[in-house]
Amino acid sequence: MGYEDIKKWREQHIHEQMNHEQLNNFHDELMIKTVQSAMEKVKEEQGKVPAPFAFFLMGSASRREQSIWSDQDHGIIFDGPNQHQAYFQKLGTEIVDGLEIVGYERCEGKVMASESRWTKSVDDWKQQVINWLDEESWQSLRHFSTFFDSRVLLGEEKLLKNVKQVTFSYIQNHPKIMNRLVDNVGFIRKGVGVFGQLLPEQSGTRTGQINIKTMALFPFVNAIRLLVLCNQIMKTPTVERFAALKTKYSFLTEYQILFESLLAFKFQFTKDAAEYEEVHYIPLKKLSKKDKQELKEYMKKGAELFERTKNTIEKECSKW
Amino acid sequence: METVLMDNLWVIIGTFLVLLMIGGFILLEAGSTRMKNAGHIAGKTIFTIGIGSLVFWAVGWGFIYGEGNWFIGLSDFFYGDTSFNEEGLSPAVDFIFQMMFALIALTIAFGGFAERAKLSAYVVFAVLFSALVYPVVAHWIWGSGWLAEHGKQDFAGSTVVHLTGAMAALAATIILKPRIGKYNKDGSSNELAGHNQVYTALAVLLLWVGWFGFNGASTFGVSEAFFGYVILNTQLGAAAGAVAAMLLVWAITGKADVPTTLNGALAGLVAITASCGFVEPWAAVIIGAIGGLIVYASMRFFDRARIDDPIFALSVHGTVGVWGTISTGFFATEALSSGADWGLPGLFYGGGFEQLGVQILGVVASGAYAFVVSFIILKVMDKVMGGLRVSEEEEIIGLDMSEHGSYGYPENIPHPDEQQAK
Repeated sequence: MGYEDIKKWREQHIHEQMNHEQLNNFHDELMIKTVQSAMEKVKEEQGKVPAPFAFFLMGSASRREQSIWSDQDHGIIFDGPNQHQAYFQKLGTEIVDGLEIVGYERCEGKVMASESRWTKSVDDWKQQVINWLDEESWQSLRHFSTFFDSRVLLGEEKLLKNVKQVTFSYIQNHPKIMNRLVDNVGFIRKGVGVFGQLLPEQSGTRTGQINIKTMALFPFVNAIRLLVLCNQIMKTPTVERFAALKTKYSFLTEYQILFESLLAFKFQFTKDAAEYEEVHYIPLKKLSKKDKQELKEYMKKGAELFERTKNTIEKECSKW
Repeated sequence: METVLMDNLWVIIGTFLVLLMIGGFILLEAGSTRMKNAGHIAGKTIFTIGIGSLVFWAVGWGFIYGEGNWFIGLSDFFYGDTSFNEEGLSPAVDFIFQMMFALIALTIAFGGFAERAKLSAYVVFAVLFSALVYPVVAHWIWGSGWLAEHGKQDFAGSTVVHLTGAMAALAATIILKPRIGKYNKDGSSNELAGHNQVYTALAVLLLWVGWFGFNGASTFGVSEAFFGYVILNTQLGAAAGAVAAMLLVWAITGKADVPTTLNGALAGLVAITASCGFVEPWAAVIIGAIGGLIVYASMRFFDRARIDDPIFALSVHGTVGVWGTISTGFFATEALSSGADWGLPGLFYGGGFEQLGVQILGVVASGAYAFVVSFIILKVMDKVMGGLRVSEEEEIIGLDMSEHGSYGYPENIPHPDEQQAK
């Protein structure tokens, strides 16, 4: 199946996806087909895949939080000598081109398998992750958090698990890093003002619109990532992370219900978006009074969950 | 005799302070706009105050204070009185102090031209505004015109200086239309952020200090050291304006916006300008705070009305100038109004609605005159000069280059030829 065919298939069926779960399954299918197609193409030009590997997703795709439009965030990990780097970067570049044709925008931050930072051998990946944590700068910890939200879409899952295992050992030996990771995502853009009003964009083409991604979704996503890091849980989709954490932290039940309902809320208001940028914003005028109340509740509870997570990590994880 | 000399000395110090406010306006306008226009803004301001000074000397003073009628003065042109008065100010001191106010009004008016008007438009309008707009309103209120006879209170010029300047700015803004990139096709507005908030903040501080001369020396003397009281009110008004604007913008948008806070301080100063010699300190706090609140509301109003006001001249000097003038109708005390033989007490001091009515009448008449005459002048200029606005290309490369041939920050902006080569 060529990229253009996959694109057509996407256009024909994407609006048939009835909910958030179905939509994300469909995205996975689309991307698997695209990656397979890219692999075929590269095989024809450069020969067979030279080593076992895994193509993994990051960002919203990996966490299964994609809307109708999404950008690309992905990488490759291969089990073999560094001389294979060129082959896999070539494959990465082909995947990027293919996904772009199918309808996934290139990542502005270049978190893509075509870049050497995101395509590496297992050993180099382990070293890179340790370097990021050792450096503990704002940028390096951002890279780390991005990497940690990774999920294998195609290939050998154990390769990625190996690298994540290194992460867990590192954190166990350097528990103070957890405080830095908390600070790294601690800034939450305020969504509700002192009068209890929603705070939309004040200028530009998004005037009067609420950034649901940064103001509502991120506090949940970031809090849950921190808790799985601290509890050495491999799962990536936020909903699955919630499920795995719930047995230990019963207070999470309430937040999981809210988060799932937030995903449904986002799906409902962004399913007809015409372009990628639009899926992060909801115009206030589209919301009823009840919708606004609901959105405020998500923002309030998201911030509350982040606070509770901070305290939990302070107590449990950063002082092993 | 010694007191008279001190009176003269105090007013000439005030003159220096007010002239330094021009430096404040340069920093304010340059800091609030893009760097490609910074040199132009600095240069044209100095150039136009040169023009304004000459016009004021030739005809401005005569139109304001000359012997004439209810509408305009008609003597004392090409001023040159070298006499010395045993009482009151020496004529030359009075003249030079008054000239500074005309220059401030002119500079405020040019706020509406920012980032898109031709240099030639500045030149012509500097002459016509300084001759035909400002002196008429000043004659009505401060000369022997019809509003002065009604007892209109405007201690240092909320109406005469700020509102008159702002009305001309409004006319210019409407005729010039918004800057390229300010509004999107769907009507939403983009923030064309100023290039240097530190400039803007220092501008506010410079203006604030200058305002002590603007208001303080409008006592025209040192008698009973009343200037101290006037400056106290000025300080309180500015402080309350800054605090109120910051709290309001934070409450509404969730962000403690710096330009709004700075505009709040200026709004407090503009608001208290009319009333600083008539009200009690607690009232100065309220007048300044309300100025700070309405300046933000006004900024949002003009933005949504698609009136592009790059340095917020319409809101800071116009909307708040109106409020400042009307405020004495509420807060003027008996001792400082009728007791000082300048109008009547305000509504809250048992003066009824009379002074309030006079204030409103003054605002409406002065505002309407300044707007209509400026609009006609600018429309005629637009026709005769083949447009007031630079071409799209010139606006994009910046007025530093299009109007003057060199950038204010040459190291930071590539020359247009180099830009093309890339």
